[in-house]
Amino acid sequence: MKKLILLTATAFTMMSAQAQDFKTVLTKTMSVFDTTMIPEVQVEYSNKISLISKKWDSEWAGHYYSAFSKAVLSYSEKDATKRDAYLDDADKELLDAVNILGKQTDETYVLGAMLANARMAVNPMLRYQKYGKIFSDDLEEAKELNPNNPRMYYLQGVSKFFTPKAFGGGKKNAQPYFEKAEGLFAKESSDDITKPYWGKYKNAYFLSQCKIEDKE
Amino acid sequence: MKQFLHKGIFKIIAVVTLVFAGTASWAQYKISGTVIDQKGRPVRGASVSLDGTIDGSTTDSMGIFRFTTDEKGNQSIVATEVSHKNSGMPIVITGDMSGIVLKMGNNSSHELDQVTITAGAFNASDDANKTVLRPLDIVTTAGANADVVKAIETLPGTQQTGADNGLFVRGGDASEAAILVDEMVVQNAFFSGAPGVATRSRFGAFQYQGVSFSSGGYSAKYGQALSSVLELNSTDLPDKSTVNLGVNMAGIYASATKKWKNSAIDVGGNYNNLTPFYGIASTNFKFYNVPVGGGGNARYVWKPNKNGLLKVAVNASYITSGVGVPNPYTNEPDSLLTGNPAAEHFKNEGDTINFKTRDQNYYSNISYKQSWKNKYTLYTAASYSLDQTNNFFGDIPINEKDQRAQYRLELNTYINRKLSVLVGGEIQNFSIEKTFANIDSFKQSFTETQIAGYIEADWNPFYWLAIRPGVRYEHSALLNNDNIAPRLSMAIRTGDYSNVSLATGIFYQDANSTYLLVGARPGFQEAIHYIANWQWTKSDRTLRVEGYYKNYASLIRDFPTYYDPNAYRYILPSDRIDNSGHGYAQGLELFWRDRKTFKNVDYWISYSYIDTKRLYDNFPVAASPTFIANHNLNLVGKYFVQKWNTNFSATYTFASGRPYYNPDPTKAFLSETTKPFNNFAVTISYLHSFGKWFSVFYLSIDNITNSHNIFGYRYTYDNDTHKQVPSPIVPALYRSIFFGVNFSLTQFKKDEL
Repeated sequence: MKKLILLTATAFTMMSAQAQDFKTVLTKTMSVFDTTMIPEVQVEYSNKISLISKKWDSEWAGHYYSAFSKAVLSYSEKDATKRDAYLDDADKELLDAVNILGKQTDETYVLGAMLANARMAVNPMLRYQKYGKIFSDDLEEAKELNPNNPRMYYLQGVSKFFTPKAFGGGKKNAQPYFEKAEGLFAKESSDDITKPYWGKYKNAYFLSQCKIEDKE
Repeated sequence: MKQFLHKGIFKIIAVVTLVFAGTASWAQYKISGTVIDQKGRPVRGASVSLDGTIDGSTTDSMGIFRFTTDEKGNQSIVATEVSHKNSGMPIVITGDMSGIVLKMGNNSSHELDQVTITAGAFNASDDANKTVLRPLDIVTTAGANADVVKAIETLPGTQQTGADNGLFVRGGDASEAAILVDEMVVQNAFFSGAPGVATRSRFGAFQYQGVSFSSGGYSAKYGQALSSVLELNSTDLPDKSTVNLGVNMAGIYASATKKWKNSAIDVGGNYNNLTPFYGIASTNFKFYNVPVGGGGNARYVWKPNKNGLLKVAVNASYITSGVGVPNPYTNEPDSLLTGNPAAEHFKNEGDTINFKTRDQNYYSNISYKQSWKNKYTLYTAASYSLDQTNNFFGDIPINEKDQRAQYRLELNTYINRKLSVLVGGEIQNFSIEKTFANIDSFKQSFTETQIAGYIEADWNPFYWLAIRPGVRYEHSALLNNDNIAPRLSMAIRTGDYSNVSLATGIFYQDANSTYLLVGARPGFQEAIHYIANWQWTKSDRTLRVEGYYKNYASLIRDFPTYYDPNAYRYILPSDRIDNSGHGYAQGLELFWRDRKTFKNVDYWISYSYIDTKRLYDNFPVAASPTFIANHNLNLVGKYFVQKWNTNFSATYTFASGRPYYNPDPTKAFLSETTKPFNNFAVTISYLHSFGKWFSVFYLSIDNITNSHNIFGYRYTYDNDTHKQVPSPIVPALYRSIFFGVNFSLTQFKKDEL
């Protein structure tokens, strides 16, 4: 009997899937979000991702990408209160994703590190100590689970890129991280949205910025 | 099983067919409208959708949304936007819809934080938004030279010190402020030195992740401090392995941290020699032996599980110095000296006497903290400290040995989200042994054992109300006496950014060791605090106004034949010593901090007014003591110039004149005051990376204007004119220059890439 209920449920899921397939919709929305630099479009597509996450509430990936998109919005927002508000929402979405998965994965740790970095970026002088630690701890955990996650190196590169030279950052110090990430991005397939592959496009952008500096 | 499967597949096919059949009859409807806030202004970037679907759109700069949907019938349309409250309404879709207006409330979708109690308390740590000072703020405060206690003296409620050691808070003397590390009492918080020469505290800011300064009304966890408690919390598991090296005008130091996954070891050592520092400054005292010292420390931190933490620390240090101090007995008329062996001995020794210090200090501490599922937190700690001083006052050796052992155990139970209860107890055993001139008859000592138990509740019935009642019981074995000290503090939110806090309590303390050493066993001294404050905090700006009244009772008095201002005066065991002293202190304090108005600028202003009188010690009548300035003002500013990687910081301190004792019998007791105190200090730090080494070069100039500050006057009898002649009590240095450099290496990992 249980089996029957389960199958019936599956059937209904498939029915709605028929209308709008979760993966297809998410892939389409994410591909726009991940390649745009226009703030209005970012907000619009982040909103779409959040609707997807709400509609397919039991899919971890919806919550995961919703958290990701809110972190991106936080970086481009200027008002500090609003930046934190985006991250409050992002924290909840990431927690939902982890709860659905039932465990942390390298990708959820990497996203955790990204949220910590975004928190720090709101007020680096005051938040460096707390969020810098969460950032490095989460990346360390991610590395233990999967040392070949390109997003890990990409995030480290971005963090170095924006750290003043006097504190050991700068383009020159960031470049090796983007190069390492680029190699790993090249090996990654991008045909399943539930196996995250974001970051390739922006990694290439940062790497080109680092190279400009080198020529000077 | 197979049968079910077949049935299932049939069902799927049936459903799928139905879905396709339905599609044809679905029509698309256009939905449009605007989203506004409570004042009718358009909300941009809001997500508007039909609840539970992905049919929706984002509003434009006019707040307009437009989307199409296949849904019909009863639906909910919802609007969400990150800085507004969610909004929604039911709609019935039967065709195209336009002109829908959704009104969003202002930003409080994010729950208001629980109000916290701030009366009497300044917290500095990294993990709360409400903190007022952080460890890094302490290091970058000009004039503090990275000394935690010195930085605390820029906060309201404190007095400036220059000729004495200690923290003088709200009318209390240095003995009334307890300094604690990881909840354990620090016995000798300052380096040893000569009388009249202030020394640094033993605490550097980077060893501590949190500093909490209470200028009154503190928790039932602590006792034996009539005025104030300064709590330092040592750092937890470090982030990374590091090596740290430094050299400055006071010496050299090196430390290293090795971190494993769940544990870490810190070791460090330092050698101090103040020859370069005193060499370029003109000192007001004659240092015939400049302070020279050294020390070592080791620490082990282990995280056995996610919610447990063990810390073990040992410290050892020594310091020697020799300085000429004014002879307190010079030329005193014989009539005042009889019966005082020290005076008899030194009265003809000249104006200065050589004071030599040799001090060894050992401190060890072990603590363990464990939480279980956010339900219970257990904390236990034990500490032992030993301080051995071998001083020479002229040719007389004065030896002192202080020992202290302490144990604490406490359990915090989180009954629910709104209520937690802390229950704990502590036992302390300490002794002081003092010998003069190696003569047995001048040997003095005492041993005290204090046992205390406490219970305190944290109750937050509403987000706008916090109440913390507590009670502490103490027993003193030496005084054979008990006390019960109730405490209460609370906070009420008065607006989105402001709150009012109140605190009161009774505080007890043993008599000073000076009295206990001569065998006196008076009862506890007592203080009652009443504190009220109003604090407003909004995005990196804090304004705080605090008023207090403090009543002192049962203060210790002794009754010599004449008043002697010398802090090291000789008390005869046969002197009358009792609890008949009393006093009060009342005041108003202001604090303003702003990190927002100017980019990369952080500044704070603190002002304290105090009115206090007390009858204690050997005072003949109640008076305002010599360490009290009625008005204290601190202006602290910091400016980081990113382009130059340079931080500029400046501190200006003003204190009105302090009372001093004039032996002229026509002058009322302690009625005259010195000229005001002024100090302007500047620190410049430059940050630079040499490869993987991160360096900080710093230069500080204290008292740039070379203001000749005076802390009081000492009167000596002039045999020619037969008059008492004043000589000013001054700090060891006026203007001083200090510079140095610190190197740290944190990027060890070659395998990071």
